[in-house]
Amino acid sequence: MPKAMTYKANSVIYFQGDISDRIYILKAGRVSLNSNDIETGEPVRDSIQTGEFFGVKSALGKYPREENAIALSDSHVVVFTVPEFEQLALSNTRIVMKMLNVFSNQLRRLHTKVRGLLAEGEQVDPELGLFRIGEYYMKKKEYDKALYAFQKYLTYYPSGAYHQLANKHAQQVEQYASQYGIGQGPGLPASETGEAAAASSGANGGRRSADEVPKPELGPIAKQYYNAVSSFSQGNYAEAMKQFKTIVDTSEDREYVVKSMFEIGRCLYSLERYDACIRHFTALVQRYPKMPDLDEALYYLGQSYERSGDSDRAIGFYKKILSRSGVSEALKRKVNNALRSMQGA
Amino acid sequence: MELNLDAFERFAVHFNKGNIIFCEYEPGDAFYLIQAGRVQISKIMGDIEKTIDILHPGEIFGEMAILEEAPRSANAICLDPVKALEFNRANFEILMRGNPQIALKLLKLFTKRIYDQRRRFMILTLEDTHAKVADVFLMLDESQSGPKPEGSERVFYTTPGDIGHWAGISPEVSRDVLNQFQTQRRIEIYTDRIVVKNINEFARFVNSRRKKSDES
Repeated sequence: MPKAMTYKANSVIYFQGDISDRIYILKAGRVSLNSNDIETGEPVRDSIQTGEFFGVKSALGKYPREENAIALSDSHVVVFTVPEFEQLALSNTRIVMKMLNVFSNQLRRLHTKVRGLLAEGEQVDPELGLFRIGEYYMKKKEYDKALYAFQKYLTYYPSGAYHQLANKHAQQVEQYASQYGIGQGPGLPASETGEAAAASSGANGGRRSADEVPKPELGPIAKQYYNAVSSFSQGNYAEAMKQFKTIVDTSEDREYVVKSMFEIGRCLYSLERYDACIRHFTALVQRYPKMPDLDEALYYLGQSYERSGDSDRAIGFYKKILSRSGVSEALKRKVNNALRSMQGA
Repeated sequence: MELNLDAFERFAVHFNKGNIIFCEYEPGDAFYLIQAGRVQISKIMGDIEKTIDILHPGEIFGEMAILEEAPRSANAICLDPVKALEFNRANFEILMRGNPQIALKLLKLFTKRIYDQRRRFMILTLEDTHAKVADVFLMLDESQSGPKPEGSERVFYTTPGDIGHWAGISPEVSRDVLNQFQTQRRIEIYTDRIVVKNINEFARFVNSRRKKSDES
Protein backbone atom coordinates (compact mmCIF):
# COMPACT_ATOMS: atom_id res chain seq x y z
CA MET A 1 0.00 0.00 0.00
CA PRO A 2 1.25 3.50 -0.78
CA LYS A 3 2.20 5.23 2.48
CA ALA A 4 1.47 8.79 3.56
CA MET A 5 4.51 10.45 5.11
CA THR A 6 5.31 13.85 6.56
CA TYR A 7 8.66 15.60 6.29
CA LYS A 8 9.60 18.54 8.51
CA ALA A 9 10.84 21.73 6.92
CA ASN A 10 14.50 21.48 5.81
CA SER A 11 14.62 17.71 6.07
CA VAL A 12 15.98 15.53 3.29
CA ILE A 13 13.61 13.16 1.50
CA TYR A 14 16.42 11.51 -0.42
CA PHE A 15 20.05 12.20 -1.26
CA GLN A 16 21.74 12.38 -4.61
CA GLY A 17 23.44 9.02 -5.21
CA ASP A 18 20.90 7.01 -3.19
CA ILE A 19 19.51 3.95 -4.91
CA SER A 20 15.88 3.35 -4.05
CA ASP A 21 12.67 2.07 -5.59
CA ARG A 22 10.47 4.76 -4.02
CA ILE A 23 8.38 7.17 -6.01
CA TYR A 24 6.80 10.19 -4.35
CA ILE A 25 3.84 12.41 -4.98
CA LEU A 26 3.63 15.76 -3.22
CA LYS A 27 0.29 16.25 -1.47
CA ALA A 28 0.96 19.47 0.42
CA GLY A 29 3.94 21.64 1.27
CA ARG A 30 7.02 22.60 -0.71
CA VAL A 31 9.73 20.30 -2.05
CA SER A 32 12.79 21.28 -4.02
CA LEU A 33 15.04 19.01 -6.10
CA ASN A 34 18.59 20.35 -5.92
CA SER A 35 21.32 19.27 -8.28
CA ASN A 36 24.13 20.66 -10.38
CA ASP A 37 23.71 21.32 -14.06
CA ILE A 38 25.55 18.60 -15.96
CA GLU A 39 26.87 21.16 -18.41
CA THR A 40 28.00 24.08 -16.26
CA GLY A 41 28.11 22.64 -12.76
CA GLU A 42 25.83 25.50 -11.66
CA PRO A 43 23.35 24.66 -8.90
CA VAL A 44 19.84 23.92 -10.19
CA ARG A 45 16.70 24.01 -8.03
CA ASP A 46 13.44 22.59 -9.33
CA SER A 47 10.41 23.08 -7.16
CA ILE A 48 7.81 20.35 -7.19
CA GLN A 49 4.19 21.39 -7.60
CA THR A 50 1.47 19.93 -5.44
CA GLY A 51 0.17 16.81 -7.16
CA GLU A 52 3.43 16.24 -8.99
CA PHE A 53 5.46 13.01 -8.88
CA PHE A 54 9.16 13.00 -8.14
CA GLY A 55 11.90 10.39 -7.96
CA VAL A 56 10.27 8.56 -10.87
CA LYS A 57 13.14 8.26 -13.31
CA SER A 58 15.78 6.91 -10.97
CA ALA A 59 13.33 4.49 -9.32
CA LEU A 60 11.97 3.11 -12.60
CA GLY A 61 15.39 3.09 -14.25
CA LYS A 62 17.06 1.61 -11.12
CA TYR A 63 19.85 4.13 -11.08
CA PRO A 64 21.17 6.48 -8.38
CA ARG A 65 19.13 9.59 -7.53
CA GLU A 66 20.34 12.55 -9.53
CA GLU A 67 19.37 15.21 -7.03
CA ASN A 68 18.79 15.93 -3.36
CA ALA A 69 15.07 16.15 -2.54
CA ILE A 70 14.55 18.67 0.27
CA ALA A 71 11.33 19.62 2.04
CA LEU A 72 11.34 23.42 2.15
CA SER A 73 8.35 23.56 4.47
CA ASP A 74 6.48 20.87 6.38
CA SER A 75 5.38 18.57 3.54
CA HIS A 76 3.00 15.69 3.08
CA VAL A 77 3.89 13.11 0.49
CA VAL A 78 2.60 9.70 -0.56
CA VAL A 79 5.26 7.10 -1.16
CA PHE A 80 4.89 4.34 -3.76
CA THR A 81 7.14 1.39 -4.45
CA VAL A 82 7.75 0.69 -8.13
CA PRO A 83 5.16 -2.14 -8.26
CA GLU A 84 2.62 0.11 -6.53
CA PHE A 85 3.34 2.90 -8.96
CA GLU A 86 2.94 0.49 -11.89
CA GLN A 87 -0.41 -0.60 -10.52
CA LEU A 88 -1.53 3.01 -10.38
CA ALA A 89 -0.16 3.76 -13.84
CA LEU A 90 -1.98 0.82 -15.41
CA SER A 91 -5.30 2.08 -14.14
CA ASN A 92 -4.55 5.69 -15.04
CA THR A 93 -3.07 6.04 -18.50
CA ARG A 94 -3.21 9.81 -18.25
CA ILE A 95 -0.36 9.78 -15.72
CA VAL A 96 1.84 7.69 -17.96
CA MET A 97 1.04 9.75 -21.04
CA LYS A 98 1.94 12.92 -19.19
CA MET A 99 5.22 11.45 -18.02
CA LEU A 100 6.00 10.08 -21.46
CA ASN A 101 5.63 13.60 -22.71
CA VAL A 102 7.93 15.06 -20.07
CA PHE A 103 10.52 12.32 -20.49
CA SER A 104 10.53 12.46 -24.25
CA ASN A 105 11.09 16.21 -24.10
CA GLN A 106 14.01 15.72 -21.72
CA LEU A 107 15.40 13.03 -23.94
CA ARG A 108 15.10 15.17 -27.02
CA ARG A 109 16.92 18.04 -25.33
CA LEU A 110 19.68 15.72 -24.16
CA HIS A 111 20.02 14.30 -27.64
CA THR A 112 20.46 17.72 -29.13
CA LYS A 113 23.08 18.56 -26.53
CA VAL A 114 25.00 15.34 -27.06
CA ARG A 115 24.94 15.80 -30.81
CA GLY A 116 26.24 19.32 -30.41
CA LEU A 117 29.22 18.03 -28.47
CA LEU A 118 30.19 15.22 -30.77
CA ALA A 119 33.24 15.92 -32.86
CA GLU A 120 32.49 16.75 -36.47
CA GLY A 121 34.22 13.58 -37.57
CA GLU A 122 31.69 11.53 -35.60
CA GLN A 123 28.80 12.88 -37.60
CA VAL A 124 28.25 11.30 -40.96
CA ASP A 125 26.03 12.91 -43.55
CA PRO A 126 22.99 10.58 -43.50
CA GLU A 127 22.83 10.45 -47.27
CA LEU A 128 26.40 9.21 -47.60
CA GLY A 129 25.95 7.03 -44.52
CA LEU A 130 22.99 5.20 -46.04
CA PHE A 131 24.84 4.68 -49.30
CA ARG A 132 27.84 3.27 -47.43
CA ILE A 133 25.66 0.74 -45.61
CA GLY A 134 24.75 -0.61 -49.04
CA GLU A 135 28.39 -0.72 -50.02
CA TYR A 136 29.33 -2.50 -46.81
CA TYR A 137 26.80 -5.28 -47.37
CA MET A 138 27.72 -5.56 -51.01
CA LYS A 139 31.34 -6.03 -50.01
CA LYS A 140 30.27 -8.73 -47.56
CA LYS A 141 28.15 -10.36 -50.31
CA GLU A 142 25.00 -9.94 -48.26
CA TYR A 143 23.13 -8.99 -51.40
CA ASP A 144 19.66 -8.85 -49.90
CA LYS A 145 20.74 -6.37 -47.25
CA ALA A 146 22.73 -4.35 -49.78
CA LEU A 147 19.67 -4.21 -52.01
CA TYR A 148 17.58 -2.96 -49.11
CA ALA A 149 20.01 -0.13 -48.36
CA PHE A 150 20.40 0.93 -52.01
CA GLN A 151 16.64 0.89 -52.52
CA LYS A 152 16.12 2.99 -49.43
CA TYR A 153 18.78 5.35 -50.69
CA LEU A 154 16.95 5.72 -54.00
CA THR A 155 13.64 6.24 -52.21
CA TYR A 156 14.91 9.00 -49.96
CA TYR A 157 17.46 10.58 -52.28
CA PRO A 158 16.04 10.04 -55.76
CA SER A 159 18.30 12.75 -57.08
CA GLY A 160 21.09 12.38 -54.54
CA ALA A 161 24.80 12.52 -55.27
CA TYR A 162 25.10 8.74 -55.46
CA HIS A 163 21.81 7.86 -57.07
CA GLN A 164 23.33 6.61 -60.32
CA LEU A 165 25.76 4.40 -58.50
CA ALA A 166 23.08 3.22 -56.09
CA ASN A 167 20.93 2.29 -59.04
CA LYS A 168 23.73 0.38 -60.71
CA HIS A 169 24.70 -1.42 -57.50
CA ALA A 170 21.07 -2.30 -56.77
CA GLN A 171 20.75 -4.01 -60.15
CA GLN A 172 24.10 -5.67 -59.68
CA VAL A 173 23.34 -7.14 -56.26
CA GLU A 174 19.99 -8.38 -57.48
CA GLN A 175 21.72 -10.16 -60.31
CA TYR A 176 24.45 -11.57 -58.03
CA ALA A 177 21.82 -12.82 -55.61
CA SER A 178 19.99 -14.79 -58.29
CA GLN A 179 23.10 -15.87 -60.16
CA TYR A 180 25.39 -16.86 -57.28
CA GLY A 181 23.28 -16.75 -54.13
CA ILE A 182 23.87 -14.74 -50.99
CA GLY A 183 27.45 -14.90 -49.75
CA GLN A 184 28.64 -16.64 -52.93
CA GLY A 185 29.37 -14.15 -55.70
CA PRO A 186 31.66 -11.15 -56.14
CA GLY A 187 31.77 -8.21 -53.75
CA LEU A 188 32.06 -4.51 -54.45
CA PRO A 189 34.31 -3.47 -57.34
CA ALA A 190 36.99 -1.25 -55.79
CA SER A 191 36.85 1.36 -58.54
CA GLU A 192 33.16 1.98 -57.97
CA THR A 193 32.95 3.01 -54.36
CA GLY A 194 31.09 6.12 -53.30
CA GLU A 195 34.33 8.02 -52.78
CA ALA A 196 35.43 7.35 -56.34
CA ALA A 197 32.06 8.37 -57.70
CA ALA A 198 31.89 11.54 -55.66
CA ALA A 199 35.30 12.57 -56.89
CA SER A 200 34.54 11.96 -60.54
CA SER A 201 30.88 12.92 -60.94
CA GLY A 202 30.36 15.94 -58.70
CA ALA A 203 26.87 16.18 -60.10
CA ASN A 204 25.38 17.66 -57.00
CA GLY A 205 27.40 20.73 -56.32
CA GLY A 206 29.42 21.52 -53.25
CA ARG A 207 31.39 18.31 -53.09
CA ARG A 208 34.23 19.36 -55.37
CA SER A 209 36.89 21.87 -54.65
CA ALA A 210 36.36 25.13 -56.46
CA ASP A 211 39.29 24.92 -58.84
CA GLU A 212 38.10 21.74 -60.54
CA VAL A 213 34.55 22.84 -61.21
CA PRO A 214 34.26 23.44 -64.94
CA LYS A 215 32.64 26.60 -66.23
CA PRO A 216 28.89 26.06 -66.34
CA GLU A 217 27.38 26.09 -69.80
CA LEU A 218 24.56 28.43 -68.97
CA GLY A 219 22.75 28.55 -72.30
CA PRO A 220 21.83 24.90 -72.84
CA ILE A 221 20.97 24.32 -69.17
CA ALA A 222 18.65 27.28 -69.06
CA LYS A 223 16.97 25.93 -72.16
CA GLN A 224 16.60 22.47 -70.66
CA TYR A 225 15.20 24.04 -67.55
CA TYR A 226 12.60 26.07 -69.37
CA ASN A 227 11.59 23.07 -71.48
CA ALA A 228 10.93 21.23 -68.26
CA VAL A 229 8.99 24.17 -66.84
CA SER A 230 6.89 24.21 -69.97
CA SER A 231 6.12 20.47 -69.66
CA PHE A 232 5.06 21.19 -66.11
CA SER A 233 2.80 24.05 -67.09
CA GLN A 234 1.15 21.83 -69.70
CA GLY A 235 0.34 19.35 -66.96
CA ASN A 236 2.87 16.71 -68.12
CA TYR A 237 4.19 16.27 -64.60
CA ALA A 238 5.87 12.91 -65.08
CA GLU A 239 7.67 14.14 -68.17
CA ALA A 240 8.64 17.39 -66.46
CA MET A 241 10.00 15.45 -63.51
CA LYS A 242 12.16 13.36 -65.83
CA GLN A 243 13.55 16.51 -67.43
CA PHE A 244 14.27 18.15 -64.09
CA LYS A 245 16.01 14.99 -62.91
CA THR A 246 18.24 15.06 -65.98
CA ILE A 247 19.30 18.57 -65.08
CA VAL A 248 20.03 17.55 -61.49
CA ASP A 249 22.06 14.57 -62.71
CA THR A 250 24.06 16.20 -65.40
CA SER A 251 24.32 19.88 -64.70
CA GLU A 252 27.20 21.54 -62.90
CA ASP A 253 25.24 24.71 -62.36
CA ARG A 254 24.23 24.80 -58.75
CA GLU A 255 21.54 27.40 -59.26
CA TYR A 256 19.70 25.29 -61.83
CA VAL A 257 20.27 22.11 -59.84
CA VAL A 258 18.63 23.58 -56.75
CA LYS A 259 15.82 25.08 -58.80
CA SER A 260 15.23 21.77 -60.54
CA MET A 261 15.23 19.90 -57.25
CA PHE A 262 12.57 22.29 -56.03
CA GLU A 263 10.54 21.64 -59.19
CA ILE A 264 10.86 17.87 -58.74
CA GLY A 265 9.07 18.35 -55.42
CA ARG A 266 6.30 20.29 -57.15
CA CYS A 267 5.99 17.49 -59.73
CA LEU A 268 5.65 14.88 -56.98
CA TYR A 269 2.98 17.04 -55.37
CA SER A 270 1.10 17.44 -58.64
CA LEU A 271 1.34 13.70 -59.23
CA GLU A 272 -0.31 13.34 -55.80
CA ARG A 273 2.67 11.38 -54.52
CA TYR A 274 2.46 13.15 -51.18
CA ASP A 275 4.73 10.83 -49.19
CA ALA A 276 7.47 11.13 -51.76
CA CYS A 277 6.88 14.85 -51.94
CA ILE A 278 7.27 15.19 -48.17
CA ARG A 279 10.50 13.20 -48.19
CA HIS A 280 11.83 15.14 -51.11
CA PHE A 281 11.16 18.58 -49.68
CA THR A 282 12.25 17.56 -46.18
CA ALA A 283 15.61 16.45 -47.55
CA LEU A 284 15.87 19.53 -49.73
CA VAL A 285 15.10 21.95 -46.93
CA GLN A 286 17.65 20.24 -44.70
CA ARG A 287 20.27 20.36 -47.38
CA TYR A 288 19.69 23.89 -48.59
CA PRO A 289 18.25 25.75 -45.61
CA LYS A 290 18.94 29.03 -47.35
CA MET A 291 17.47 28.23 -50.72
CA PRO A 292 15.44 31.02 -52.30
CA ASP A 293 12.16 29.09 -52.49
CA LEU A 294 12.23 27.90 -48.91
CA ASP A 295 8.84 29.42 -48.00
CA GLU A 296 7.22 27.75 -50.98
CA ALA A 297 8.85 24.44 -50.09
CA LEU A 298 7.40 24.70 -46.58
CA TYR A 299 4.02 25.41 -48.14
CA TYR A 300 4.19 22.24 -50.26
CA LEU A 301 5.19 20.30 -47.16
CA GLY A 302 2.15 21.68 -45.36
CA GLN A 303 -0.12 20.87 -48.31
CA SER A 304 1.25 17.34 -48.62
CA TYR A 305 0.74 16.65 -44.94
CA GLU A 306 -2.76 18.11 -45.16
CA ARG A 307 -3.66 15.91 -48.14
CA SER A 308 -2.26 12.82 -46.49
CA GLY A 309 -4.43 13.48 -43.45
CA ASP A 310 -1.78 14.70 -40.99
CA SER A 311 -3.41 18.01 -40.12
CA ASP A 312 -1.26 18.59 -37.05
CA ARG A 313 1.90 18.70 -39.06
CA ALA A 314 0.26 20.62 -41.85
CA ILE A 315 -0.76 23.31 -39.38
CA GLY A 316 2.77 23.22 -37.95
CA PHE A 317 4.25 24.04 -41.34
CA TYR A 318 1.67 26.72 -42.11
CA LYS A 319 2.34 28.44 -38.80
CA LYS A 320 6.05 28.22 -39.42
CA ILE A 321 5.66 30.04 -42.72
CA LEU A 322 3.63 32.80 -41.09
CA SER A 323 6.27 33.22 -38.41
CA ARG A 324 8.99 33.86 -40.99
CA SER A 325 9.90 37.30 -42.18
CA GLY A 326 9.85 38.36 -45.81
CA VAL A 327 7.11 35.94 -46.88
CA SER A 328 5.25 37.18 -49.94
CA GLU A 329 1.73 38.48 -49.43
CA ALA A 330 0.38 36.00 -51.97
CA LEU A 331 1.82 33.06 -50.08
CA LYS A 332 0.60 34.41 -46.75
CA ARG A 333 -2.92 34.57 -48.22
CA LYS A 334 -2.69 30.99 -49.46
CA VAL A 335 -1.46 29.82 -46.07
CA ASN A 336 -4.17 31.70 -44.21
CA ASN A 337 -6.82 30.26 -46.51
CA ALA A 338 -5.47 26.77 -45.93
CA LEU A 339 -5.49 27.27 -42.16
CA ARG A 340 -9.04 28.65 -42.21
CA SER A 341 -10.40 25.81 -44.29
CA MET A 342 -8.76 23.26 -41.98
CA GLN A 343 -10.12 24.86 -38.87
CA GLY A 344 -13.53 25.14 -40.47
CA ALA A 345 -13.54 21.46 -41.37
CA MET B 1 2.89 -8.49 -17.41
CA GLU B 2 0.55 -10.22 -19.82
CA LEU B 3 -0.20 -8.10 -22.84
CA ASN B 4 -3.43 -8.48 -24.68
CA LEU B 5 -2.75 -7.06 -28.08
CA ASP B 6 -5.43 -8.71 -30.18
CA ALA B 7 -6.91 -5.30 -30.86
CA PHE B 8 -3.64 -4.23 -32.42
CA GLU B 9 -3.45 -7.00 -34.99
CA ARG B 10 -3.87 -4.42 -37.72
CA PHE B 11 -0.53 -2.87 -36.79
CA ALA B 12 1.26 -6.21 -37.15
CA VAL B 13 4.11 -6.55 -39.64
CA HIS B 14 5.97 -9.72 -40.59
CA PHE B 15 9.58 -10.16 -41.63
CA ASN B 16 11.58 -13.17 -42.76
CA LYS B 17 14.76 -14.30 -41.12
CA GLY B 18 17.65 -12.15 -42.34
CA ASN B 19 15.40 -9.25 -43.35
CA ILE B 20 16.38 -5.72 -42.47
CA ILE B 21 13.63 -3.91 -40.56
CA PHE B 22 15.50 -0.65 -40.87
CA CYS B 23 19.08 0.34 -41.43
CA GLU B 24 21.33 3.00 -40.01
CA TYR B 25 20.91 6.50 -41.51
CA GLU B 26 17.49 5.64 -42.92
CA PRO B 27 14.98 8.31 -41.86
CA GLY B 28 12.80 6.75 -39.18
CA ASP B 29 9.13 7.34 -38.53
CA ALA B 30 8.06 4.11 -36.85
CA PHE B 31 8.95 2.05 -33.81
CA TYR B 32 8.33 -1.61 -33.09
CA LEU B 33 7.20 -3.96 -30.37
CA ILE B 34 8.44 -7.50 -30.98
CA GLN B 35 5.78 -10.20 -30.71
CA ALA B 36 7.72 -13.16 -32.06
CA GLY B 37 11.32 -13.81 -33.07
CA ARG B 38 14.59 -12.10 -32.20
CA VAL B 39 15.93 -8.86 -33.61
CA GLN B 40 19.61 -8.02 -33.79
CA ILE B 41 20.60 -4.39 -33.37
CA SER B 42 23.90 -3.71 -35.08
CA LYS B 43 26.10 -0.88 -36.24
CA ILE B 44 28.64 -0.88 -39.02
CA MET B 45 31.92 0.53 -37.82
CA GLY B 46 34.57 0.70 -40.48
CA ASP B 47 34.86 -2.78 -41.86
CA ILE B 48 32.95 -4.71 -39.25
CA GLU B 49 29.36 -5.02 -38.22
CA LYS B 50 29.08 -4.84 -34.45
CA THR B 51 26.14 -6.36 -32.59
CA ILE B 52 24.92 -3.88 -30.01
CA ASP B 53 22.03 -5.89 -28.68
CA ILE B 54 19.76 -8.84 -29.33
CA LEU B 55 16.11 -8.16 -28.55
CA HIS B 56 13.36 -10.63 -27.70
CA PRO B 57 9.57 -10.69 -27.81
CA GLY B 58 8.09 -8.01 -25.59
CA GLU B 59 10.90 -5.58 -26.26
CA ILE B 60 10.60 -2.25 -28.03
CA PHE B 61 13.06 -0.79 -30.53
CA GLY B 62 13.31 2.20 -32.82
CA GLU B 63 11.52 4.32 -30.20
CA MET B 64 13.60 7.41 -30.92
CA ALA B 65 11.50 7.83 -34.03
CA ILE B 66 8.58 9.09 -31.96
CA LEU B 67 10.69 11.92 -30.68
CA GLU B 68 12.12 13.19 -33.89
CA GLU B 69 12.41 12.04 -37.43
CA ALA B 70 16.15 11.69 -37.12
CA PRO B 71 18.06 9.08 -39.11
CA ARG B 72 18.23 5.65 -37.45
CA SER B 73 21.33 5.18 -35.35
CA ALA B 74 21.64 1.42 -35.92
CA ASN B 75 20.46 -1.48 -38.07
CA ALA B 76 17.62 -3.77 -36.98
CA ILE B 77 17.89 -7.22 -38.54
CA CYS B 78 15.73 -10.32 -38.02
CA LEU B 79 17.50 -13.34 -36.54
CA ASP B 80 14.29 -15.38 -36.87
CA PRO B 81 11.01 -14.89 -38.66
CA VAL B 82 9.76 -11.82 -36.82
CA LYS B 83 6.30 -10.54 -36.06
CA ALA B 84 6.17 -7.04 -34.66
CA LEU B 85 3.65 -4.29 -34.08
CA GLU B 86 4.58 -1.17 -35.98
CA PHE B 87 3.69 2.22 -34.54
CA ASN B 88 4.21 5.75 -35.67
CA ARG B 89 3.39 9.16 -34.33
CA ALA B 90 -0.10 9.01 -35.79
CA ASN B 91 -1.22 5.82 -34.08
CA PHE B 92 1.03 6.13 -31.05
CA GLU B 93 -1.48 7.96 -28.85
CA ILE B 94 -4.30 5.55 -29.61
CA LEU B 95 -2.06 2.63 -28.85
CA MET B 96 -0.79 4.05 -25.59
CA ARG B 97 -4.23 5.01 -24.34
CA GLY B 98 -5.55 1.54 -25.04
CA ASN B 99 -2.50 -0.20 -23.67
CA PRO B 100 -1.05 1.23 -20.50
CA GLN B 101 1.33 -1.74 -20.25
CA ILE B 102 3.09 -0.69 -23.40
CA ALA B 103 3.09 2.94 -22.32
CA LEU B 104 4.70 1.90 -19.05
CA LYS B 105 7.26 -0.18 -20.87
CA LEU B 106 8.10 2.77 -23.06
CA LEU B 107 8.33 5.01 -20.01
CA LYS B 108 10.89 2.66 -18.46
CA LEU B 109 12.83 2.55 -21.68
CA PHE B 110 12.92 6.35 -21.72
CA THR B 111 14.23 6.51 -18.16
CA LYS B 112 17.05 4.25 -19.22
CA ARG B 113 17.77 6.28 -22.36
CA ILE B 114 17.76 9.51 -20.39
CA TYR B 115 20.28 8.04 -18.00
CA ASP B 116 22.49 6.78 -20.83
CA GLN B 117 22.37 10.11 -22.64
CA ARG B 118 23.11 12.07 -19.48
CA ARG B 119 26.03 9.82 -18.79
CA ARG B 120 27.30 10.22 -22.32
CA PHE B 121 26.89 13.95 -22.05
CA MET B 122 28.97 14.00 -18.86
CA ILE B 123 31.76 12.16 -20.64
CA LEU B 124 31.69 14.55 -23.56
CA THR B 125 31.77 17.67 -21.38
CA LEU B 126 35.09 16.68 -19.83
CA GLU B 127 37.78 18.78 -21.43
CA ASP B 128 40.70 16.46 -20.82
CA THR B 129 40.86 13.62 -23.37
CA HIS B 130 42.44 11.23 -20.86
CA ALA B 131 39.62 11.94 -18.43
CA LYS B 132 37.06 11.25 -21.18
CA VAL B 133 38.56 7.85 -21.86
CA ALA B 134 38.77 7.03 -18.15
CA ASP B 135 35.15 8.09 -17.71
CA VAL B 136 34.04 5.74 -20.51
CA PHE B 137 35.43 2.89 -18.39
CA LEU B 138 33.52 4.18 -15.37
CA MET B 139 30.34 4.29 -17.44
CA LEU B 140 30.88 0.74 -18.70
CA ASP B 141 31.52 -0.37 -15.12
CA GLU B 142 28.30 1.28 -13.89
CA SER B 143 26.26 -0.33 -16.63
CA GLN B 144 27.42 -3.84 -15.78
CA SER B 145 24.50 -5.40 -13.96
CA GLY B 146 24.78 -7.82 -11.10
CA PRO B 147 26.98 -7.65 -8.04
CA LYS B 148 30.18 -5.65 -8.31
CA PRO B 149 33.31 -7.79 -8.61
CA GLU B 150 35.67 -7.88 -5.63
CA GLY B 151 38.68 -5.59 -5.61
CA SER B 152 39.32 -2.73 -7.98
CA GLU B 153 40.45 -4.51 -11.16
CA ARG B 154 37.89 -4.59 -14.00
CA VAL B 155 37.81 -6.40 -17.33
CA PHE B 156 36.00 -4.83 -20.29
CA TYR B 157 35.35 -6.68 -23.54
CA THR B 158 35.77 -3.66 -25.73
CA THR B 159 38.13 -2.10 -28.24
CA PRO B 160 39.94 1.23 -28.60
CA GLY B 161 37.53 2.08 -31.43
CA ASP B 162 34.48 1.58 -29.21
CA ILE B 163 36.02 3.58 -26.40
CA GLY B 164 36.69 6.38 -28.89
CA HIS B 165 33.09 6.25 -30.09
CA TRP B 166 31.78 6.80 -26.57
CA ALA B 167 34.34 9.48 -25.78
CA GLY B 168 33.59 11.34 -29.01
CA ILE B 169 37.17 11.08 -30.22
CA SER B 170 38.69 9.35 -33.23
CA PRO B 171 39.90 5.73 -32.94
CA GLU B 172 43.47 6.97 -33.44
CA VAL B 173 43.31 9.42 -30.55
CA SER B 174 41.63 6.77 -28.45
CA ARG B 175 44.42 4.31 -29.19
CA ASP B 176 47.04 6.95 -28.28
CA VAL B 177 45.47 7.67 -24.93
CA LEU B 178 45.02 3.98 -24.17
CA ASN B 179 48.67 3.32 -25.05
CA GLN B 180 49.73 6.04 -22.64
CA PHE B 181 47.56 4.50 -19.93
CA GLN B 182 49.20 1.18 -20.67
CA THR B 183 52.69 2.66 -20.39
CA GLN B 184 51.64 4.08 -17.02
CA ARG B 185 50.49 0.54 -16.09
CA ARG B 186 46.98 1.76 -15.40
CA ILE B 187 45.50 -0.61 -18.00
CA GLU B 188 46.43 -3.66 -20.06
CA ILE B 189 45.26 -3.91 -23.66
CA TYR B 190 44.52 -7.30 -25.23
CA THR B 191 42.99 -8.07 -28.61
CA ASP B 192 39.56 -8.82 -27.19
CA ARG B 193 39.56 -6.93 -23.90
CA ILE B 194 40.99 -4.11 -21.84
CA VAL B 195 41.84 -4.58 -18.16
CA VAL B 196 41.62 -1.56 -15.89
CA LYS B 197 43.94 -2.16 -12.95
CA ASN B 198 42.22 0.17 -10.49
CA ILE B 199 38.77 1.47 -11.32
CA ASN B 200 38.68 3.61 -8.15
CA GLU B 201 41.81 5.43 -9.22
CA PHE B 202 40.06 6.25 -12.53
CA ALA B 203 37.06 7.53 -10.59
CA ARG B 204 39.25 9.87 -8.54
CA PHE B 205 41.03 11.02 -11.67
CA VAL B 206 37.78 11.81 -13.50
CA ASN B 207 36.33 13.58 -10.48
CA SER B 208 39.33 15.83 -10.23
CA ARG B 209 38.83 16.86 -13.86
CA ARG B 210 35.09 17.50 -13.69
CA LYS B 211 33.85 21.09 -13.57
CA LYS B 212 32.46 21.89 -10.17
CA SER B 213 30.63 24.91 -8.99
CA ASP B 214 32.04 26.56 -5.85
CA GLU B 215 29.03 25.73 -3.78
CA SER B 216 28.06 22.09 -3.50
